[in-house]
Amino acid sequence: MKKLKTHTLVGGVLIGVLLVLALVAALWTPYNPLGIDLRGKLQPPSAAHWLGTDEFGRDVASRAMRAASTSCLIALLTVALATAVGLVVGVLAGFVRGWTDRVLMAFNDTLLAFPGLLLALGVMVIVGANQWGIVLALSMAYAPSVVRVVRGTVLSLREREYVEASRMIGNGEIYTMWRHILPNCVAPVAVLATSMFGWVLLSESALSFLGLGVPPPAPTWGNMLSSARPYMASAVWLCLVPGLCIALTLLGINLLGESLRDRLDPRTEKS
Amino acid sequence: MNLPTPPSLPPAARTAAALALGLGLAASAAFAQAPAGQTMRIQINSDIRSTDPGGNRDDNTDNVLIHVVEGLVALREDTSVGPMLASKVDTSADGLTYTFTLRDGVKFQNGAVLTADDVVWSWQRYLKPTSGWRCLPEFDGKGMTKVLAVEAPTPKTVVFKIERPSALFLTMMARPDCGGAAILHRSSLGADGQWKEPVGTGPYKIKEWKRGQYIELTRFDGYTSRPEARDGLTGGKKAEIENLRFVVIPDSAAAKAALYSGGIDAFISPSPADVVEMRGRSDVRVDTTPVMTMVALLLQTTDPLLKDVRIRRALALSLDTPEIAKSVTEGLSAVNNSVVPSSSPFYSPVQAGGYKRDIAGAKKLLAEAGYRGQPIKLVANKRYEALYSAAVLVQAMASEAGINIELEVLDWATQLDRYTKGQYQSMAFIYSARIDPSLNYEMVSGDKATQPRKVWDNAAAQTRLTESMVSRDKARRQVLFDELHKQMLQDVPMVVLFNASDATAMRKSVTGFKGWAPAKPRFWNVRLDARG
Amino acid sequence: MLAYLLRRIAMTVPTLLLVSIAVFTLMRLIPGDPVQLMLGEGADPAQLELARQQMGLDQPLVTQYVVWLRHALTGDLGVSTTNGLAVLPLIWERFHVSAVIVLTAVALASLIAVPAGLVAAWRKDRPTDLAIIGAATLMLSVPSFWLGLLLLMFFGQYLHWLPVVGYVPMSEDFSQGLMYVILPIVTLVLVETGVLTRMSRASTIEVLRLEYVTHARAKGVPESQVLRRHVLPNAFNPTLTMIGLILGHLLSGIAVLETVFTLPGLGRLMIDSIFARDYPVLQGCLLFTACIYVVINLIVDMCYPLFDPRVSVQ
Repeated sequence: MKKLKTHTLVGGVLIGVLLVLALVAALWTPYNPLGIDLRGKLQPPSAAHWLGTDEFGRDVASRAMRAASTSCLIALLTVALATAVGLVVGVLAGFVRGWTDRVLMAFNDTLLAFPGLLLALGVMVIVGANQWGIVLALSMAYAPSVVRVVRGTVLSLREREYVEASRMIGNGEIYTMWRHILPNCVAPVAVLATSMFGWVLLSESALSFLGLGVPPPAPTWGNMLSSARPYMASAVWLCLVPGLCIALTLLGINLLGESLRDRLDPRTEKS
Repeated sequence: MNLPTPPSLPPAARTAAALALGLGLAASAAFAQAPAGQTMRIQINSDIRSTDPGGNRDDNTDNVLIHVVEGLVALREDTSVGPMLASKVDTSADGLTYTFTLRDGVKFQNGAVLTADDVVWSWQRYLKPTSGWRCLPEFDGKGMTKVLAVEAPTPKTVVFKIERPSALFLTMMARPDCGGAAILHRSSLGADGQWKEPVGTGPYKIKEWKRGQYIELTRFDGYTSRPEARDGLTGGKKAEIENLRFVVIPDSAAAKAALYSGGIDAFISPSPADVVEMRGRSDVRVDTTPVMTMVALLLQTTDPLLKDVRIRRALALSLDTPEIAKSVTEGLSAVNNSVVPSSSPFYSPVQAGGYKRDIAGAKKLLAEAGYRGQPIKLVANKRYEALYSAAVLVQAMASEAGINIELEVLDWATQLDRYTKGQYQSMAFIYSARIDPSLNYEMVSGDKATQPRKVWDNAAAQTRLTESMVSRDKARRQVLFDELHKQMLQDVPMVVLFNASDATAMRKSVTGFKGWAPAKPRFWNVRLDARG
Repeated sequence: MLAYLLRRIAMTVPTLLLVSIAVFTLMRLIPGDPVQLMLGEGADPAQLELARQQMGLDQPLVTQYVVWLRHALTGDLGVSTTNGLAVLPLIWERFHVSAVIVLTAVALASLIAVPAGLVAAWRKDRPTDLAIIGAATLMLSVPSFWLGLLLLMFFGQYLHWLPVVGYVPMSEDFSQGLMYVILPIVTLVLVETGVLTRMSRASTIEVLRLEYVTHARAKGVPESQVLRRHVLPNAFNPTLTMIGLILGHLLSGIAVLETVFTLPGLGRLMIDSIFARDYPVLQGCLLFTACIYVVINLIVDMCYPLFDPRVSVQ
């Protein structure tokens, strides 16, 4: 399909560049992202600083790269944690049913209804104002969605014949869950996970923008954008760079996610 | 409004022209114009808390209410205390009796004349244990002294009898954050004894309070002014502008834009970066004054690592405090390593002495103390930009001496909590203004066991501090403050960085405004010239 | 019908209770003392105690919760600790601001997205489809707060067409009020249209494959009728669900946009109350938001039969 190829190509390139930059930035950046140079502050893009400097004289390009590392790491960890927890809880709830299901779903719905901001603040205050706090808070915010999807899949799966058969020949519940249910959850969860990567990235940026995310001076695209607000008129590049990074990353994820969905979702027409 | 139309136009065209002109004017009025009838629009960054002076209040509340109410004494321009509603104040030799003689013919905003009975009534209300008056602890025996009696022997004299003599009795009375111990008429309370609205003696009275949006004051025509020139919160006051509207605009970027577009006439406390930007414009003017708020780096002397004074000294020596002050405030404030504010009358050459950057010296001290690069956590927040910027600079500068500082950026509520409990290694903190050096030292020194928020726990310092609060001899107090400063430089429980500079940005049409050290902007004796 | 409504509402009560308890506890576990914040760093400990007593904060947690719950059930959500205003009227007023923007934006976005998705699905894989789907993907990749900032910079600061300042309610002054909400609405429309278009297209594609559509075509029913009578009603359902989800999510999640455009809305109220540790306001906001969520879901469920007669209210 022509559409599919373009999507995959563009998406792949964008995400590929992002991952490369993120990996590189973890080890090396042109300048120290935290390096202050008060005399060189608020410089527009130039040969020395390709994307200019910020209000402390720090190199914007280096900060954007480091932010890529941080954001990617947070998003990956969050998606991993949320998916893992969501799978376990969802399978349990859907398969075992009864009171286990009711209790688990009650907690699940409570978490869903909880405002993300409060959760983030609460978790970060308890765990500490750092990346792990954000990962934990965002996982708690997104795991319920995974639970929902998994539980729904499990509910429809458990009525299938091979599950019945597994039980009849005397396999334990856990074995059945592991061998027959879990593998079939992978597809819908994979699709959800790709979307979630984008949501988490966006949430983390939004939280940083509001002052609740990874605390400064460590750069994230969200807090770079937030710090840029007073300089809207005088230093436009400070507003453009982080936003563009977020937008391009999300674009890449969305495009890739779509092609993944087209491949994995059995309901999509393949023509 | 009379719209000029050329007489040769046919009637229909005339109406059309009038309409077009009217619409055009209305459109431009949408953002830019001030309503007719001299109203000055002043930005405040949050709504006032209440209209009860010295009750539920914050800085914005104080700033509005100083225009409405007045007390027996008030702060002069040089932050000393002078008579306001009193014409003179006599103190007994033992310092236990204060006699206030009231001025003649002072009127309340409801027309009633001020008598000694009103003073007694106001003070009895403040001194009630459940009054919630901010300065109550100073006057009820728990703090500075105890007011034993407030009497009115004649309709024009009020006598205060206190338990212990104090250098700060009148100062406390004049504190703007306690409403200046405003004298109110009893009709400020409703029939049920609940607060209604302030009926005071000030040049403005409250016209309308639209919660969350603005509070508007209007001129009190019966105001009896003191004869002299403007002098702090006392002196002559003339309400040149008819209405003062304090508009709530929390976001400083929005307030700045409103100032530029003419939506407001004054913007209180723009950031240093904004001030630099505004200085380059021709339509606004910025007035800057050094004020008495203090930005400092607090060090927890009970911390296992920082209890070694050599490490604290090394940290102080690693910093280029003049550079920090200059950079954070965009050159508006100079460095000040003393707890005594630079705008205080007690700021002597001794007070001006401080730390000089010495990386080599710092490294030597660190080696002596056996510092091996253990991380030191520095707490800051983003709500006060100055604190955050200062913290970032401290971290960078200290690293040059090999001190490993880790920033911990918290939200303000959490930081305040940690400050109160003393749970930090180091912290960038901002203290609000105190109008007397004793009060400045008092806010940082004390017994950590009972008051964990205190930074400096030193017996010798405490003795000197207590003496400075009792002795009314100016020269003696200066000696005590100088000794305290020298001792603090040795002890290094904290590194004072600078006193903030307060800026007020106004449109060019505002004239006569002058900022001053306590940072309480006054809008009497200020004129709003007609717009071009 | 009434029984159904009551039953639905009753089912959400346990969740609401759990959420309110969780929030209550969490807020008080987080360090930060509202009284200390109110009175400032120079306040006397005795005065702090007095203020705490007056606000009922010295009582044990359970007592505080029960007191709050009792009042809440009678409609009294207490007063804000920052400005003493009654909580419920405050929330309601702020809600108006958010609601105007969100409802207008979602309505506009739906009006654009649903037909666009329909057309895209109808012309699947042809240039029209690619253009629409490309635009939609682009739109939903741009973070709303960045887009808002850019629009503000361009139309507000650079062109001076629109104000950069706060807010005037349209009930007070319609034309001026309109100026303040145009940019936030446009921002939201741009972002949400992307999401809704994709959803609409996907579900339309689903339906187009179904048998009764091919059956109708085979019978010779004209295309427009096929679209209108058979495709649209069925395709719309998932989109309707999505609209409901978005509405519910936005009404509280609009905080970022309110920050960028300095609008006094519900999202900002919640954030400010968290930072100020204003417990009554925060709890009131949460209760209110949860109720809104319930109401919206209910309305969406009611709407299904309108579009698809096969779906009965059950």
